[in-house]
Amino acid sequence: MSAVADLFRPLLGARCLTDEDSLKRYGVDWTKVWAPAPSAVLLPESTEEVQAIVRLANEHRIALVPSGGRTGLSAAAVAADGEVVVAFDRMNKVLDFSPFDRAVTVQPGVITQQLQEFAEQQGLFYPVDFASAGSSNIGGNIGTNAGGIKVIRYGMTRDWITGLKVVTGKGELLDLNKGLAKNATGYDFRHLMIGSEGTLGFVVEATVKLARQPDNLTVLVLGAPGFREVMRILHAFQSKIDLTAFEFFSDKAMSHVLAHGVARPFDGEAPFYCLLEFEGSSDGVMNDAMALFEDCVEKGWVLDGVMSQSLTQASQLWQLRERISESISIYTPYKNDISVTVAKVPDFVEEVDAIVQANYPDFEIVWFGHIGDGNMHLNILKPADLPKEEFFARCNNVSKWVFEIVEKYNGSISAEHGVGRTKKAYLGYSRSPEEIALMKAVKAAFDPNGIMNPGKIFDL
Amino acid sequence: MKVLVPIKRVVDYNVKVRVKADNSGVELANVKMAMNPFCEIAVEEAVRLKEKGVVTEIVAVTIGSKAAQEQLRTAMALGADRSILIETEEDAQPLAIAKALKAIVEKEQPQLVILGKQAIDGDNSQTGQMLAALTGMGQGTFASEVVVDGDKVKVTREVDGGFQTVELKLPAVITTDLRLNEPRYASLPNIMKAKKKPLDTVSAADLGVDFAPRTKTLKVEAPAARSAGIKVASVEELVSKLKNEAKVI
Repeated sequence: MSAVADLFRPLLGARCLTDEDSLKRYGVDWTKVWAPAPSAVLLPESTEEVQAIVRLANEHRIALVPSGGRTGLSAAAVAADGEVVVAFDRMNKVLDFSPFDRAVTVQPGVITQQLQEFAEQQGLFYPVDFASAGSSNIGGNIGTNAGGIKVIRYGMTRDWITGLKVVTGKGELLDLNKGLAKNATGYDFRHLMIGSEGTLGFVVEATVKLARQPDNLTVLVLGAPGFREVMRILHAFQSKIDLTAFEFFSDKAMSHVLAHGVARPFDGEAPFYCLLEFEGSSDGVMNDAMALFEDCVEKGWVLDGVMSQSLTQASQLWQLRERISESISIYTPYKNDISVTVAKVPDFVEEVDAIVQANYPDFEIVWFGHIGDGNMHLNILKPADLPKEEFFARCNNVSKWVFEIVEKYNGSISAEHGVGRTKKAYLGYSRSPEEIALMKAVKAAFDPNGIMNPGKIFDL
Repeated sequence: MKVLVPIKRVVDYNVKVRVKADNSGVELANVKMAMNPFCEIAVEEAVRLKEKGVVTEIVAVTIGSKAAQEQLRTAMALGADRSILIETEEDAQPLAIAKALKAIVEKEQPQLVILGKQAIDGDNSQTGQMLAALTGMGQGTFASEVVVDGDKVKVTREVDGGFQTVELKLPAVITTDLRLNEPRYASLPNIMKAKKKPLDTVSAADLGVDFAPRTKTLKVEAPAARSAGIKVASVEELVSKLKNEAKVI
């Protein structure tokens, strides 16, 4: 253990940590399934240091795990097998801003919220946003191609990265795409790196595009009598209004959030709720929204609803959705992050719901998610009297059935959380053997000795 | 019983306010405006009194440009029955506002006037008190509980170190504190109904109130930027710094 640390100490001095606290803290993400057991934690401060670390690790065949905000939900940043953690805490600076390109160049340890706030100071907007934005790092967002709550309008992290500097498994520094909007010169390795969960290389710099600030974001929360009605509401609103978000959550999710202290949107209850957000920038849009609401009520798709009258209320209404994860975390939820095309969502949800309920009537299922993108978070809560190990073992069985249905619907077993370790065994439900073989070949090209976050996505 | 609820249009609480380049005030161009949060509490309290059957009519009133109609519509979506806009392009100050409200009180003869304890833009906390003085009504300020009982109202006030309960004879002026209630959201059906509720406009000049400002803002400045924190290496260093540099121990 100390032998590995001793290798890196001459390079980093006191920024090579081996104390018990640090090892525990840096070796784990939000999954908390595997006990953290890294042999050291390194805190590089420059690209050159990252390169030196990788070269040394390559020479001695030492496995490296990149680490950012460690808010991941698939254990991609977990170091449970004596790996060396490369934490980007110290590489957290905004390096450059180009108003003409509306682009900002940042180091990987910049926190998502820090980037959002930087954009705001420039009168611009970084639209990738999710519940963990206050802790997650840009480097990690790139590693998992993070999505979140505004994907319906703004797309995923991938859509905002115009340039990447990456250190490969050989210690080479690649300068990918250089911030260009158009660049048709062969393979775009930038996009290969995005979503690769640190298995091909470590991001040391990213150039991120920014958008104009949205105007008067307005939030509606509607109650619907059934899941199919939620989809009809989505379809109706999308036909007239550019939605910036369309989220749904079940009555169970709502009851947990209310118990957590968030205020009820309206008195009546509904089996399903949806949250819509759009730019209320003109009377025209607002009138359209009201007319659509009236129409949906008349058709029986909407039971009741509220509309934010200020940005303050808009952010309060968002709490109904954003605090679900937090409010159910005490139940040790088993989480699935799955997606299908929007058209297939209702049939898919019905089938999954039926199979889980039929086999595990004692499990509470909480559905919520970014339904406007066909992305659902299926959460199964642990019954209080069931031991954790038994619960997860039974849930793994559920996963197989759920993933079979995902496969049948041509969906994805991981919409935005990545594969990491938790979904590794199920990759075959979404990717063909030919694809997985090619992935391994790609990995070998960038990381011939398999030192970059090994054991994540797939086993070699 | 009729309740008058004066409300104010202010910069949305969630907006990060920026000082104008010439230091003459804060930037208002293209900034999201909303109802003052304490006014939302005032509206909510009036609506709850109506739901309890104590109040029969709620009249919302505001002073400002045509744009302030937006906040009156919100008040009506929350439950106000009708509203009045006292239209002026002047930046109305508390005394002028209180005088204008006095004119409305004389016309409407409400038994209760419920307003926010202060607006989050000027932070003056003067209008309610001035209105009470001008009209001779009793005042229960910074209310955290309001109980109407016949021709009296009991108001629990948040004061330093505790609560004080005062009893007022109606008609009375009440200003709302943060903990009085939690305002509801405007439901979409009620937002639609609010579009059809009456909204009368009175010009400030018709009320015979002089809106010319009596105080002049000389300069508005952003708070000084805080310097970044530092990390100390040991408890000893921390204690030494607290003792010798911060001089707090």
